[in-house]
Amino acid sequence: MLKNRVAVLLGLIFLLSLTATSASAATRTATIHIEGMHCKMCSASVTKALKATDGVEKVEVSFEKGVAVVQYDDQKVTETKLREVINGTGFKVVEEKTASNTVAN
Amino acid sequence: MTRAIVFILLLIGLPVMALGQSSNAPALSLKDVRGRTVRLNEYKGKVVLINFWATWCPPCRAEMPDLIRIQREYQSKGLQVIGVTYPPETINEVRRFIRKLRVNYPIALGTKETKALFDQTDTLPLTIVIDRAGKVRERIEGILLPEEFEQKVKPLLQ
Repeated sequence: MLKNRVAVLLGLIFLLSLTATSASAATRTATIHIEGMHCKMCSASVTKALKATDGVEKVEVSFEKGVAVVQYDDQKVTETKLREVINGTGFKVVEEKTASNTVAN
Repeated sequence: MTRAIVFILLLIGLPVMALGQSSNAPALSLKDVRGRTVRLNEYKGKVVLINFWATWCPPCRAEMPDLIRIQREYQSKGLQVIGVTYPPETINEVRRFIRKLRVNYPIALGTKETKALFDQTDTLPLTIVIDRAGKVRERIEGILLPEEFEQKVKPLLQ
């Protein structure tokens, strides 16, 4: 009897921990301003590098606006990492953080 | 019934065959920054990466150290990188840039038409992968990522 109660209790704890984990995971959107992205032909490298980054779900890069809008899983990648990836393509991220909001989960 | 099976097989097979087809690389002959001629057919038997780039293109500049490393590490395995510039470009700027980076592969001076021989897009950088038989195997748009090198270039070196 006691064994059964302990098992049920452990099961409940397990379920609660799963709920807590999924609640903390979120898709976020980062709007990152980029300097020096003057040509459409060059901006493809930013899109490609971001898309190849683990945790990135959606990328829209506008060379006219000099902005990358990135949807990402904040459990897998950080906005700091995204900025590093962009800097690695030869362009320069100009602002630390312009907008970031939770959109899912 | 037999005809239906053949038809279905053709439907499935034709796109697969088309994807598998690789075209012969064009006979490219360009001048390098010192006025010497760089001929693509001289590299037959090697896996050639033709990298279209420009000094004014930030991603092109960013990937060059990796191309220099690739040339150094895989030259002995039969790989050859050839850089081809894309206009507008000045020869002095190109010379200054490749001297600063100590580029260890030939840099030829290209035109828009040179790039159009391989690709109709405006993308830079662009890397064309040519196998040992002289066939174009891949067109890699943007910076050549390490995983792309592993998947698309390395197998050709074996």
